[in-house]
Amino acid sequence: MIQLTAITRSFTDEGRELEVLKGLDLAVAPGEVVAVVGASGSGKSTLLAIAGALDSGFGGEAVVAGQRLRGLSPQALASLRNRSIGFVFQSFNLVPAFPALENVLLPGLLRHGRGEPLDALRVRALAALDRVGLAGKASARPARLSGGERQRVAIARALLTRPALLLADEPTGNLDAVSGEAVIRLFGDLAQEGTAVLVVTHEERVSRVADRVLTLRDGRLCP
Amino acid sequence: MSWRALLAVAWANLKADRRAALVDAAAAAVGAATLAIFVALGLGVGDAARRMFPADARFVEVVPAQVSLGGLLGGGRLDARALARLAELPGVRGAWPRQNLVVPVAAPEPPHGLEAAWPAGMTVQIPVVGVDPAMVADDTRRGVAFTDVTDGGPIPVVLSRRLVEIYNKTIAPTWGIPGLPAGLDPVGLELPLRIGASIIPGKSEQRVIEVRVRLAGLSDRVPLYAMAFPLATVQRLHRLYNRSDPGYGQVTLLADQPADAPLIAAAARRMGFDVDRTEQATAERVGTVVGLTTGALTVLALLMTGLAALAIARSRAASVAARSREIALLQALGATARDVRALVLAEALLLGGGGGLVGVAVGRGLGLLGNLAWHQLLPDFPYRPEAILSFPAWLLLTSVAVAALSAVLGALAPAAAAARVDPARALS
Repeated sequence: MIQLTAITRSFTDEGRELEVLKGLDLAVAPGEVVAVVGASGSGKSTLLAIAGALDSGFGGEAVVAGQRLRGLSPQALASLRNRSIGFVFQSFNLVPAFPALENVLLPGLLRHGRGEPLDALRVRALAALDRVGLAGKASARPARLSGGERQRVAIARALLTRPALLLADEPTGNLDAVSGEAVIRLFGDLAQEGTAVLVVTHEERVSRVADRVLTLRDGRLCP
Repeated sequence: MSWRALLAVAWANLKADRRAALVDAAAAAVGAATLAIFVALGLGVGDAARRMFPADARFVEVVPAQVSLGGLLGGGRLDARALARLAELPGVRGAWPRQNLVVPVAAPEPPHGLEAAWPAGMTVQIPVVGVDPAMVADDTRRGVAFTDVTDGGPIPVVLSRRLVEIYNKTIAPTWGIPGLPAGLDPVGLELPLRIGASIIPGKSEQRVIEVRVRLAGLSDRVPLYAMAFPLATVQRLHRLYNRSDPGYGQVTLLADQPADAPLIAAAARRMGFDVDRTEQATAERVGTVVGLTTGALTVLALLMTGLAALAIARSRAASVAARSREIALLQALGATARDVRALVLAEALLLGGGGGLVGVAVGRGLGLLGNLAWHQLLPDFPYRPEAILSFPAWLLLTSVAVAALSAVLGALAPAAAAARVDPARALS
C-alpha cells in the first residue's frame, strides 16, 4: 500500500540546508497498522506529508496506493488524495463553519469526475458518522463538540471515500484517555477491513495496537 | 469541484465570517447603487435633451449664401434648378425645399373648441412656410392629407412638435390662460386665418382672404416659429398675390448615412450655398455636455465600484491568510489549486453579485424617490421629463454585473495566493 524507498527530504532554513529524511525506507501493507515514533522535529510529519502526496519535493521513490508519486501531475495527486488517502490530524482540522455532516461530506464535494448525487453522498456521510458513534450530532458545529467527538468526525470524514490508506498525525494527542481509546479501536477496526494505517505518535497506547512500531531517528526508520 | 459544491462551500465560508462579508457586500452595494443612479441620471437628462433639441445627423440644411458670386458660379439662389442639382449629389436620399410665404397671415380667433385659451381681442401674426409634403410624410398619416387644397376646404398645416410643449409650459402660464387639455389629440383642430392681413398698420394686402386651416400633424422637421403649409399652397398664394418667385429659403437634404452628411455639406458649399447647422450644432453641443457629464459621473461611479473591489480584494487577502490551514485541509482532501482559486473567486462573486443586487435595488428605490421629488418639487417647464432618473433593465443588469466582475477581478490576487498555499507546511 505504501512503498517508500531511499526517501530524502531537505529544507532550507535561514540559508542553512537541513536534511530531515536521509534515505528512509518504509513499507506498509493493506490491513497493517504501523506506528512511527520519534522526537519532536525528527521528521514524522514530513514523512506523513510525503506518504500523503502532499509534499512532492522529496528524493527517492514513493509508491502509494499503487501509484508512483513522482511524475504525477498536481491534479492526479489531488485525485489520489481524494480517492485513496484519509487524513486524521492532531488538531482535527474541521471547517468551523460547517456542521459535522458537511465536514464529513467535504471529500465527496471535492471529488473530481463526480457522478455521485448529493443525496447519496449524504447517506454515506451519515453512515460514516454512525460508524464513529456520532449520528446524533450530524448538525452540530465543531465548536459544540468535545475534542473526542471532533476527532471522530475527522475520522468519519476520512472514511467517507473508503480510503485504502489512513494517515494519522498524533490522532490522540488532544484527547482524554477514553476518547483516545475509542479512536485507537477505530483504527484497529479499519485495519481489519483491509485499510493500511500509518500513525505518527509518541503515545504508548497507540503503539500498543500497532503491528509494527518504528522509530524515526537521524532521518531513518529503525525497528 | 462542481459549481454547486463550490458555491455551497463559498457561502458557508462567508457565513462563518458574517461581519467581514457584510462590510464587503455593503461596499459592492454602494458601488452598484452609485453606478446605477449616476448613469440613470445621465440617461434621464440625455432623454430630455434629445427631446428638447432633436437632431438627426443625416440631415443637411442648405440655405442661400449670404455673400455669393451668384450666377457666375451657378450658386447663390436656391431654385428648382439648384434643388435638382442638390438632389443628385452622391449620398443624397431626399431633397425637400422650403419656401417662406411673403404674404402676411393673421389669426384673429382661437381654434374651435379652444376659445378659453385665447385672450379676448388678440390677433396673432403667423409666419408661414411652405414645406415639401414628402418631408413630413411620417408625421401626417393620420387622416388629414397634407396637400394643396383648391376647393375652398381647410388648408392642411403642420406645426412644430415643440410648439405645443412650449405653449403649454411657457406661453399659457405666462399669459394666464389654460394650456391644451391633457390627452387632447390636436390633429384635426381647425383655426380661422386671414391671409393678406397684418397686425402692422398699412402692411395688410388689399385683398384679404378668410380661410380655415386644419392641423394635419406635428413634426420636428418644421420650424418652431412658423406654421407649415404644403409647398404648392404657398406657391399658389404667391401667384395669387402677384409675388415673384422668391426661391427657396432652405432645402433639407437627407443623407443615406450620417457619415455622408459632411461630404454632402461640403459639396453644397462648393456649389455656392451655405449650410445652416444652427439646430444641429446646438443639439451637438447639448449632446456633448450631456455626454461629458454622464461620462464623468460614470467614471466616478466606476471609481467607487473599483474602491469597493479593492476593499473586497483586501478582505479576501486577509481571509486567505487567516484560512491557510483550512485551505491546506481542502487540498489534503483532494482540492486542486484550481478548486482553491475558484473557491476564493466564488466568494468574491457572491459578495460582489449579492452586494450589487442589493445596491441596484437600493439605487432603484432612491431613483423612485428622486423622481417623485423631481415631479413634485420642481416647476413645470417645456420638455420637463416625467422622470429625471431613467433605469432601463440593461442598466440594472450592468450595474450588478460590474459590481460582481470588479469583485472577482479584485479577488484574483488573493485567489492566486490561496492556490499557492503549501498544504504540507500549513498543516504541519
